[in-house]
Amino acid sequence: MAGVSTKEIKNRIRSMESTKQITKAMEMVAASKLRRAQAQISNSRPYFQIFYSAIQEILQANRDFQSPYLLELPVKKRLYIVIAGDRGLAGGYNSNILKLVYAEMEQTEAVVLPIGKKAVDFFRARKIPALTEQYAEAADVDIGDCFSISKQLSSAYLAREFDEIRVAYTTFVSVLSQNPATMRLLPLSRDEQTGEPVSRSRMIYEQDSESVFASIVPEYLGGILYGALCESRASEQAARRAAMDSATQNADDMIADLSLKFNRARQAAITQEITEIVAGS
Amino acid sequence: MTPFPLKIVTPDGLIFDGQAEKLIVRTTNGDVAILARHINYVAALGMGRAVVVADGKRRTAACIGGMLSVVDGEVTLVPTTFEWADKIDANRAELSLQRANKVLQDKNSTNTDIRLAEARLHRALVRKNVASYK
Repeated sequence: MAGVSTKEIKNRIRSMESTKQITKAMEMVAASKLRRAQAQISNSRPYFQIFYSAIQEILQANRDFQSPYLLELPVKKRLYIVIAGDRGLAGGYNSNILKLVYAEMEQTEAVVLPIGKKAVDFFRARKIPALTEQYAEAADVDIGDCFSISKQLSSAYLAREFDEIRVAYTTFVSVLSQNPATMRLLPLSRDEQTGEPVSRSRMIYEQDSESVFASIVPEYLGGILYGALCESRASEQAARRAAMDSATQNADDMIADLSLKFNRARQAAITQEITEIVAGS
Repeated sequence: MTPFPLKIVTPDGLIFDGQAEKLIVRTTNGDVAILARHINYVAALGMGRAVVVADGKRRTAACIGGMLSVVDGEVTLVPTTFEWADKIDANRAELSLQRANKVLQDKNSTNTDIRLAEARLHRALVRKNVASYK
């Protein structure tokens, strides 16, 4: 057999096997984390639906209603909240979302609020100003952080520091498919469907609808942010699981290939030895 | 007393879903009590003690932020956090209180720090207060 010694092949098989063990373990960890993240998404979903419908009801009930949160101004300065992961080895998860945001950013002046180590590094390397880098660990951001972010951003928005706030996250479509997306947080958009506003007109608001609106909007944004974070986390785990699954499969293929080579080399060595013995006698 | 359907939903999941006889919560304007056949109503919540009376049993909780709505007799409470008195970690509240006090006494704290610390102090006080009801 030409050149390749059996020892060399054996070493490669062994190293491939240890790689496979690692990817297999990572896949299993990601799968269990994914289950938890999915449960979190379904737990938090009713909260948004109720909040969203309450806000839309207020907007539907009074058409002439005005609030600085609704005002559409020409956008000069945008804020992007970018949710990415803390670690790599998750397929295209980090690069997809970062690329999408980066492409969108070129249109206007932009500031970012990166969440997750990968996002922080990405924008730092490209010298894009960041509002704060304190959320470098996406796994540590909890619901309290989401609410303090949203309160801070709401007051910054009212002070006209930004004309638009968008959040970039990865939507969790299914275990096999996750799409990066950006969504506008502020100004709020009015839904144009006119449902059954009949009973709504007799709604009593504590104080008045505008002050209720003003105090629930930051809460609502915090909720959306938390939802986006949950979706992103689930997507990250799903992407990692898929990436590790294919890595394990690749390792399997390579091991099969190498084993074949190993057996051939061994056979060749035996054949040669026999030939030598026969020739020598 | 006539019961009414009550739902309590937080971002962490459904806390309560069933019939209740009375609900007391703190809105931004003070405490309100909701009984059956209340008119359609929406209020933003403040931070404070909430009381749910269901099946004649009275349960106390710390309820912070969010919104209360009554639509066609169905009461929905969507707070940011909602913890029953017996689930509150009083030690954690105490620690959080001390941490907030430290920031407030520090002369070098920035405005945002002070605002966050005040909110934290408020939450910690509510939790400590509610925890004493269990």
